[in-house]
Amino acid sequence: MKADPRGVLTGVYYIDGDVAAGYGALAAGCKFVAGYPITPSTEAFEAICHRGPQVGAVFIQMEDELGSISAIIGATWSGVKTMTITSGPGYSLMQECIGFGAMLETPFVLLNIQRGGPSTGVPTKTGQADMMQSRWGSHGDYELIAIAPESPQEMFDYTIKAFNLAEKYRCPIMIMSDECVGHMTEKVVIPEADKIEVEPRRLYTGPAEDYLPFKPEPDLVPKMAKAGDGLKLYITGQTHDERGYPVKDAEYKSKYGRRLVDKIRLNKDKIIELKEEGTDNADVIVVSYGISSRVAIKGVELAREKGIKVGTLRLVTVWPFPDEKMSELAKKAKAFVVPEINYGQVVYDVARCAHGRANVVLVPHGGAGVHNPNDIADAIEMAAKEDKKIEGLIEFKTRLEKSVFEGGFKLKE
Amino acid sequence: MNSIIDALDKGIEMAGIARKRISVPSDIPFDPDAVKTLGVDYFQIPRGRAIAFGTGLKLGNPDLKVIPVAGDLMTLGGNHFVHGSRRNMELLVICVNNFVYKNIGGKPAPFTQAVFSPYSTFEEPFNFPHLGNSCGAVYTARWTALHAEELAASIAEALNKRGLSMIEVLAPGPNYYRSIDGIESELLQFYFNNSVVKNNEDPRNVAITPDEKIAVGKFTDKERPTFIDSYNVQHSKMLGDKFTPHGSPPKVEKLGGKNG
Repeated sequence: MKADPRGVLTGVYYIDGDVAAGYGALAAGCKFVAGYPITPSTEAFEAICHRGPQVGAVFIQMEDELGSISAIIGATWSGVKTMTITSGPGYSLMQECIGFGAMLETPFVLLNIQRGGPSTGVPTKTGQADMMQSRWGSHGDYELIAIAPESPQEMFDYTIKAFNLAEKYRCPIMIMSDECVGHMTEKVVIPEADKIEVEPRRLYTGPAEDYLPFKPEPDLVPKMAKAGDGLKLYITGQTHDERGYPVKDAEYKSKYGRRLVDKIRLNKDKIIELKEEGTDNADVIVVSYGISSRVAIKGVELAREKGIKVGTLRLVTVWPFPDEKMSELAKKAKAFVVPEINYGQVVYDVARCAHGRANVVLVPHGGAGVHNPNDIADAIEMAAKEDKKIEGLIEFKTRLEKSVFEGGFKLKE
Repeated sequence: MNSIIDALDKGIEMAGIARKRISVPSDIPFDPDAVKTLGVDYFQIPRGRAIAFGTGLKLGNPDLKVIPVAGDLMTLGGNHFVHGSRRNMELLVICVNNFVYKNIGGKPAPFTQAVFSPYSTFEEPFNFPHLGNSCGAVYTARWTALHAEELAASIAEALNKRGLSMIEVLAPGPNYYRSIDGIESELLQFYFNNSVVKNNEDPRNVAITPDEKIAVGKFTDKERPTFIDSYNVQHSKMLGDKFTPHGSPPKVEKLGGKNG
């Protein structure tokens, strides 16, 4: 289905990533946004606040993030496409209802402009330390999809993709951007509405008495419904059967709980998007996502100037994780280098897939800034020179860390 | 809960609203069969989020009538209630209060305390109608679950109010008391016998105290623009023809007004 031209602001713009994501949401047909403003995501609010009422999208500033995410889930069940926007502390508050949304198989989009943490952290500067939280932040077993854009253009494009994935797999989608991409101002091209594909809601259309809100279709995703259609919905956050009625026994918990993870795991080949370059004959492969993949371009260039064979694998979707791809590359390459703005999160999944067949080097960064590309280049060089297989993670000592710690903290006797 | 479901059933019938237009988000687990009988859409949401979830339902589809039935209203859901009332979001909040209160003066009280706390209770309870009224709710009332007729009439009246209405229902939580024979009906009867109807009483005076009879009745009934009214007025003023009003509410001339 093509996008409704009403929400599409066709043209060429010079805007930041936050605003581009806001425009992307409206282009995707988002009709309800609830949020509580927080730096560095506020520009996305402003874009929706300004444009939304002109294109039939309602914006409400809620009392907190708990209320914001509850409201968008309610609005999704009333039949519209929805989004909420947040960062750091707000993202932590939203975890309660991310699990609720996953449990109810509610399509919605959550835009998280990551900032330095934990707690209040560094509110105005960047971080990539919410990645594991985006996977397992709420209690219980569930799987969802996380996307990491690296430019304002991608913020527009992948926000639309996020809405489409939400409808397709009936689950919450996390856009795990960060302050750097959110506040980066670049050229953004918004195409004509008829060039934008949008996924309509998979609504049930049969007789009311036959509807089962959690009966899976062949792709394991059930048909969605909305309040007000006389379906007498019984929808609960308790583990439920196909009717939606609560179940308590272990066999039912297995039977109905399992599908929440399997509908993503078994469809992951269709979900995962990667950008791979020069990996065929590479000794070292740089695995990165979001702003770090943007910074890594320079690091890779510097390493190639020294004659090192470097390939890159960019995780556009970070979750679900591309296990098979990573395992396959681990058989061919000597090492993976993983720059991320945290003290090691996604790198552990790289190491799991490498399984001792290739070395894994983490290039850490504490946040409030991005990597120095020279560090990435040096880490690549170090990895290329290492001929031994090293067990466990190798942590590269960055220039920044050397300058402030003189080589890192040590326990004193 | 059965008494509340019966009251909802009667109240919806009296209000003359099509059942399929009604959504009930609640942190209290309803029995699936009861929901089918009511003929409404039901959502069991995380504790305390009934009003926030209901806000989304209402704004997503303004034709819905949303009845959040809240158990953890003034604890987890306190801020949602305060702001829902301030915004005058069109919701009928049924607040189920199965409080226990120290020395309420009757036989069941010691049982109820023993269930919750080995050393009795000592905190002050909220005066819900006063709080709702102060925050801007257009309708507040309190009934015990045994005031079946009055409660149903109140639900019917509140469903046709425009804005946030709140009805506090004093009802024992059956799960806590099920092990004690006859305690549920005894406690219900106790609340009923110790209440006195005081319609139009100033909400400031209806706090539940150990020494006085519990005031029940309708305490607030006023008019204010709803959130959607104000949303439409403001955006029409700022955007003119570029703005299409949300939903199809009756025309409201200006923002604000008494208490608004």
